Parts: sequence; C-alpha cells; structure tokens
Amino acid sequence: MAALVTPVAMSRSVERSQRPRRMRLSTQRRLTGLVLSIPALALVVAFVVIPIVQAVYYSMTQWNGVTSTWIGPSAYTQTFHNPAFWQVLTNNGLLLLAVPFALAIPLGIAVLLHERVRGWKFFRSVYFLPTAISWVVIGMVAERFFAYDGPLDKIIGSHTDFLGSSSTALLALAITFVWSMIGTNTVIFLTGLATLDTTVQEAAFVDGATAWQSFSNVTLPHLKRFVQLAFIMTVISAFSALFSLIFVMTGGGPGYSTTTMEFFVYQTGFSQSEFGTAALYGIVLFVMMAVVGIVQLKLIRSE
Amino acid sequence: MARSAPTEWTAPAPPGTPVNVAGPSVPLAPARSRRSRARRGVLFLLMVAVAAVMLYPFYFMITTSFHTEAQYQTGHGSSISSWTTLGQTVPIGQQLLNSTLICAASIAIILVVSISAGFAFSKLQFRGSQGVFLALVGAMMVPLQSILIPEYVNVSRLGLTNNYTGAILVYAALGTPFATFLMTTYFRGLPDELIEAAVVDGLSYPATLWRVALPLALPAIATVTVLQFVQIWDDLLVGLLFLQNPAERPITVGLAVLASGRTTSVPILMAGSLVSALPAMVVYLGFQRYLVRGLTLGVGK
Repeated sequence: MAALVTPVAMSRSVERSQRPRRMRLSTQRRLTGLVLSIPALALVVAFVVIPIVQAVYYSMTQWNGVTSTWIGPSAYTQTFHNPAFWQVLTNNGLLLLAVPFALAIPLGIAVLLHERVRGWKFFRSVYFLPTAISWVVIGMVAERFFAYDGPLDKIIGSHTDFLGSSSTALLALAITFVWSMIGTNTVIFLTGLATLDTTVQEAAFVDGATAWQSFSNVTLPHLKRFVQLAFIMTVISAFSALFSLIFVMTGGGPGYSTTTMEFFVYQTGFSQSEFGTAALYGIVLFVMMAVVGIVQLKLIRSE
Repeated sequence: MARSAPTEWTAPAPPGTPVNVAGPSVPLAPARSRRSRARRGVLFLLMVAVAAVMLYPFYFMITTSFHTEAQYQTGHGSSISSWTTLGQTVPIGQQLLNSTLICAASIAIILVVSISAGFAFSKLQFRGSQGVFLALVGAMMVPLQSILIPEYVNVSRLGLTNNYTGAILVYAALGTPFATFLMTTYFRGLPDELIEAAVVDGLSYPATLWRVALPLALPAIATVTVLQFVQIWDDLLVGLLFLQNPAERPITVGLAVLASGRTTSVPILMAGSLVSALPAMVVYLGFQRYLVRGLTLGVGK
C-alpha cells in the first residue's frame, strides 16, 4: 500500500491526520449516530416490520401450516361472509361501550384522592397495586367471582353462571376489564389534577360556580390531554390486551360470545391451524387500531 | 361511589364568613370546620370502599389459598395443604427462575438498544434520523396479534422456540419502540453543551454516552426497567407460543396453562398466583414514581 501512495496523496493523508479532530467531528457524530441506531432498528425491522409485510401476504393464502395456496384478495371477501367474523367484530364494538366507564370511574376516584383527605397517598398506592398483577391472575379470580353460586351470586342473591351464559359472559369480561383499568387511569388523572392551578378553581368558586360547574367548566377542560391519553390507552387495551383474561376466563366462549379479534387470531391460528385466515384477522385488527389512532389524531387537530 | 365525590366538593360557605376571602382551599377556617370534618369523614369512607373493591382479589386469593379444594367448595374450615403441596403441583422454583431469566435478558437487550438509539436520535442526528425515529416509534402501535402468525412462523423456522432465545427476542423487539421513545425524550432534555464539552475534552462520542450521558439517564433507565419488568413478568401470549418446552415456561404462563386445564385445585392455583404476583407487586410499590412518569410521558407537559 505504502508503495502506491503518490506524493500528492501522501501529503493529503499527512495533512488529514495533522488537522485538528474538530474538522471531522460532524462526520464522526453523524456516523456514530447511524451506528448506534442500527441495533434498535434491526430488531424492530426483523420482528415487527417484516412480519407485517408477511402478514399481508399470508392473509391472502389458504394455509394449514403445511400446504399453502394463494387465493388473493378474495380471501377478504370470503371472510366477510363468515358470520363468526361479524360476531367477533360486534364483540369488539360492545367492548368499546365499556370504555366510558373505564374513564369515568377512575376520574371520580382521582377527584376523590385529589381532595387530599388524610391517608390519600396510602390509598393511591392501594388503588394502583392491582396494576402490578398479571391479567392471568385477575382472570383466575374473576372466573371464580362470576362462577355459579360464586361471590357475585351471593351478593346479588341469584344462581347464575355468568361466564357460562352467552348473554352475560361478555358483560362479565367487560366488568373485569373496567376494573383492571382503574389503577392506570386513576394515576393518569391524578397526575393531571396535580398540574391544575387551584387559583382558577377558587376564582370560579368566588364567582358563585357550583361544585359541578367548577368541575365541568374548569377541571375537565384542563384534563383534556390526560383524558385523551387514558382514552387511547384504554381502547388499545380493549383491543389488544384482553388475551390473557379471555384465555383464562372463557376461552372465547360460550360459542364466540367472548371472542374478540385478538383472541380470534390465536384461536384460528393455533386451535384450527388456519394460518392464512388468522393472519387476515391480524390485519383486520391492525386496521381497527389504525382507525382508532387516526380518529384520535383528528380529534386533537380539530381543536 | 366515585360519582358523588365532585358534588360533595366546595359547597359554598355561608355568606359573610371570612372563608371566602381565604378561598376554598383553606377548609379548616373555624366557621366551616365541623362541616368540613363531616365531609372529610364521608370522603374517607368512600376511599375505604374503593380500596375494598380494589383489594378484593388479594383477599380472595389469600383466603382461598388456606383451604383445601373441599373446604373451598363448602366454604368451611382452613388448611395449609395447598401451600405445602404447591411445589409438587407447580414447578414453582423453576418457573420463577425462568421468569427472572427471560425478564433480565429481554430488559438488558431493550436497555442497550434503546439507550444507544435514544442518544443517537437526540444528540447525534444524521440525515434521515428523524424519519427513522418516527418509524421506530410508530411500531408501538402494532399489536402483537396482528403479526402473530408470521412472527411465530419465522421464530420457529429459526429453531428459536425450543429455547429461551425466541421469547427473549420477541419481548425485546416489542419493548424497544416505547423504550427508545422514552430514552430519546429524556436525552433531548440534556443540554447539547454538555455533550460538546465532553467531546472537546477529547472523549469519543460513544465514550461520551457511556461516561457523561448514561449516569444522568438513570431515572429514565429505571422507568424503562420497571415498566418492562412488570409487562414481561405478567405476559402470557409470547410465553405461551414462543416457549414450546414446558420446562422453560415462566410462572405466569405455567399458571395460565394449569388454570385453562381446569383440573388443578383452585386453592393451589391461588397460592401459585400469590407467589407469581409478589415480585411484580414489590417492584411496583418500590418504584411507583418511575412507573407514573413512564405512564404519563405521552402527555408531555
């Protein structure tokens, strides 16, 4: 190598090595940045981005895990003729009805805690504690709670197997879901309330506003961004975090009465070995989440 | 129960009392003190009622675990048999070890890649880094179920479902987008001058990250660690599918499989559940403020 170096090149290389490092610093900075971001990028591309592309392809095949046949976009129209698909979609829609409760109850609890009655910090920890335990464990307790002659039957004096009846199983699941969201959402609202400027509330009070007026005209608008965060997190959970609860409590049944789209993916893929159709349901779920995200963004921008 | 809280709040004081001047945030002014005490009593009772609802599962698990199956059915008597036989029914020690191993390895990967990427996106911007950052964070919106089938096919074709590797990599990949978002946001808060000064003093960029930025990022690192620990410890789906060898199952997965089999006695399941819940609860209570920070970061005040 050294023999090939012309005098010009040599002088240049000497010059470069003698130049203060600062000259090349910006290149060095960019290069380091690029290298440092590669591991994260590689991991996400390999395990999230590529599988999405594959999922779109798989969704248009008929595939039982061994033989795969290409059927094209008609796979989607076939699915739309499947009554189970519509029932599952309806279940997802019904679960959305639980979202207002999963927001309103924690909001009430947060306002209660924000009164800072003695011991509120202790109670805050208590309310937050269930967030630590797995939905698997919550599901196991809920299964017994809603069982025939279980605690709930004793409280309301009935003899109903809530999870065994297709008319009440989804409601029981939704109640468990709302309960599970209380800790997280309460903490979100409490954080929001802590940023509230009390002088505004006091001004409203001096102006003769009732407690409710002060709450709805001052506190609630202030909490808007926190409500949005809690809303989006609750909807994401409703659509993609109930797997454990369903797996433990009902297995999706009776029939398809508690199967949501995320559980449908698992059931179709791993109980019925219809990998192509399962991938298709995964894409449907993805579209549902995207719609929620876009609606949320639109709502934020319109204000 | 919760709904009555706002209506109780700041009832107007009788006209002419000095309370109005002080404002409602000083409720202990003499004229209102009795009323305020009664109100506080009601609020306290409400908090106790909510606490009872939130603690019910713990009460149920503890009381049920001290029954035999027969006692659980009839509701009479107590026994420690489910605790003494827990180890024979559930390989609890092995499963706790599995959970710990998988959590530790996944979190280690998440921390390494998210700290490097976060530092790069915030302090070492290169052409297109903003776009890469957005794409990476956007991956947060992809639910695992949407890519479950190809993910499973890929990982099992690589032969990684027969050991811990597959599950660890999937957890790491799923946790990376949010962790990177969090680390980037955190590093952005550090002054650029700090990094420049270190570089002018002769440190390379990686050394600056290691010696200057990293020690300052400990709170963010704690947030990522705690959030991911609870998430991975409590997860079912990944462990269920990507760990085909039952001996490698984490405790949450082991319990869920037992529960869905419906042959294990309920008191034993509850004893196992308590054991499985304990580590996450300890971490949660000990590091609450880091969790809250991670949770509300999306609001960005």
